[in-house]
Amino acid sequence: MPRWGMVIDLDKCVGCQACTIACKTENNVPHGSPEEQRSRREIYWNKVIAVTNGKYPHASTELIPMPCMHCDHAPCVTVCPVKATYRREDGIVMQDYRRCLGCKYCIVACPYGVRSFNSKEQEEKEYHRQDLPPDRSVWGPWPFPSRTHGVVEKCTFCFHRIDQGIKEGKKIGEEVVPACVEDCPAKARSFGDLDDPQSQLSRLLSSRGWVRLREEMGTKCKVYYLLK
Amino acid sequence: MNLTFTSIEGKSQGFWILAVTLGALSVIGLTCFMVSYIQGHYVLGTSNIIPWGMPIVITIYLIGLSAGSLILSSLTYVFGKKEYRSISRLAVFLAIVLIFGAMIGISLDLGRPEKGWRLFMFFIMNNMRSMFAINGILYGGYFAIGIFYLGFIFAEKSKWTRALGILAMCWASLVHMGTGAIFGFIAARPIFYSPIKPFEFLAAAMASGLALLIITVVSVFHFTKRKFDRKIIFTLSQMLLVLVIILSVIVGMDKLTHLYVPHREPALWLLSGPFSLVFWGLQVGCGYLLPLLILIHPRFKKTIKGVMIASFSVVIGIFGERFSLIIPGTAYPLPFYPGKIEGFWGAAGSFPFTPVESLMSIGVFAIMGLFFILGLKHLELLPLNEGAEQTPVPAEKG
Repeated sequence: MPRWGMVIDLDKCVGCQACTIACKTENNVPHGSPEEQRSRREIYWNKVIAVTNGKYPHASTELIPMPCMHCDHAPCVTVCPVKATYRREDGIVMQDYRRCLGCKYCIVACPYGVRSFNSKEQEEKEYHRQDLPPDRSVWGPWPFPSRTHGVVEKCTFCFHRIDQGIKEGKKIGEEVVPACVEDCPAKARSFGDLDDPQSQLSRLLSSRGWVRLREEMGTKCKVYYLLK
Repeated sequence: MNLTFTSIEGKSQGFWILAVTLGALSVIGLTCFMVSYIQGHYVLGTSNIIPWGMPIVITIYLIGLSAGSLILSSLTYVFGKKEYRSISRLAVFLAIVLIFGAMIGISLDLGRPEKGWRLFMFFIMNNMRSMFAINGILYGGYFAIGIFYLGFIFAEKSKWTRALGILAMCWASLVHMGTGAIFGFIAARPIFYSPIKPFEFLAAAMASGLALLIITVVSVFHFTKRKFDRKIIFTLSQMLLVLVIILSVIVGMDKLTHLYVPHREPALWLLSGPFSLVFWGLQVGCGYLLPLLILIHPRFKKTIKGVMIASFSVVIGIFGERFSLIIPGTAYPLPFYPGKIEGFWGAAGSFPFTPVESLMSIGVFAIMGLFFILGLKHLELLPLNEGAEQTPVPAEKG
């Protein structure tokens, strides 16, 4: 069984937020209004944060794209009372919207703030897709019938792409990748099997120094950052 | 001491006015809940940075009051202190009403309350490593034990009452320690994370439960023109003093350990940031200092008025304690990466009070008040009162 992971090259990231937009489009994540952003209710499955160290004129800012870290020891899986959050065999941490009660305990427990609560029914706008997110006819079964408010949402590593790709016999990590990896103009992200020593990920991880975020939490997350 | 218990008549105008007011507030609360259920939680003050709002604050507050009240009823039925017998029925009934209110509070917070039954599918659909799921067992069992306990008290089966009283006392302690563990075991939130949290919750539960019991007993007995033994109240108030001292020591230890790295910054932010007024004013001032001063004072501690003020102050202060744990606990931004996180990802959250959330919270209290006065009317909770006219109980019960 593969163990999917992601490597993000901080040297290449330009902070263009293309990954955020790609994620929103691919997964039909609602577009937030400025008001929702101010009140911190906008749903982000992927975010890009800017971290500054030092003071002018000796300041440096790092851009850190943050999808779900898909931790091996995920605190959200431990705290979910109804098994709505679970870890698949291939290591992807999933959210089952049919089971989710919306108790938000996982949001509190996640050390990376990658979980969002859907607090509003999606408005009907011409440019919004009201179909099942993403279209069922293309991607097969999706774990929730339609987007609903009152549940917690998060990044899925675009599992629907991976599952479909495996079914079609495609090479995951080269031919099939998550939307954020595909759309990155700087090719800062790569996706693949962490257990496969021949994968591009393993090559990248052995070539450069890397970090994982908040190692002190002991989450053993599967998103690696190559340092500048 | 041979006591006969009775219910109140509940036919006076005041009783009906109170019942109708509480009923109306409950309906308003229910309407607000329907609004938040249909519209989504954006009508509440919660957000992705502060996911838990007033319903959770109220829930843990009520669980505390309930557990405290039930533990204190054991004075009579477990430890055989006969002098408290006149108030023990009331204490058990109050505990049941409060836990009922707490369960309503939890369901108000759920995004999908219609799936709440999943919480009670123990070991089948539940992840039993989750403190929340374990607490499901505790709350469910607590409710059942409380009802059986009251049933046996009414049936005057002293052997069973004693056995169930011991179980109820231990279970109530577990319930509140379990609630503390929901927060104390979350490593990602420095203000929550503490092994001492379950004990802090237990101490807070007992202090606030006792204070509420004092208020309830004094006001119910006063408004129904019953006589009560002033000595009981003064002994209870000295117990309250001890509990408040224990609680403030535990909280002090908790905050002091948090003042060391790696939890230093969030702890400093709590003590000096935007929520510091709640912490210092309500939690420390109202919850610990004022009652300590009153209950130590040689003259005030001997007056019912002084004890009542101290009790009110504890009840309000413990509410502040809950608030200043839940809201700032999640509001402090998570340190994703070393350095200053720019923009709103690095900013602390703010918690606006919205009308829907406030009315919903008042509704929870109103429903409990309604249940409480209906209980007084239909159950034999109060000691028999010879020759006095029955009048209603005050509104703030529950």
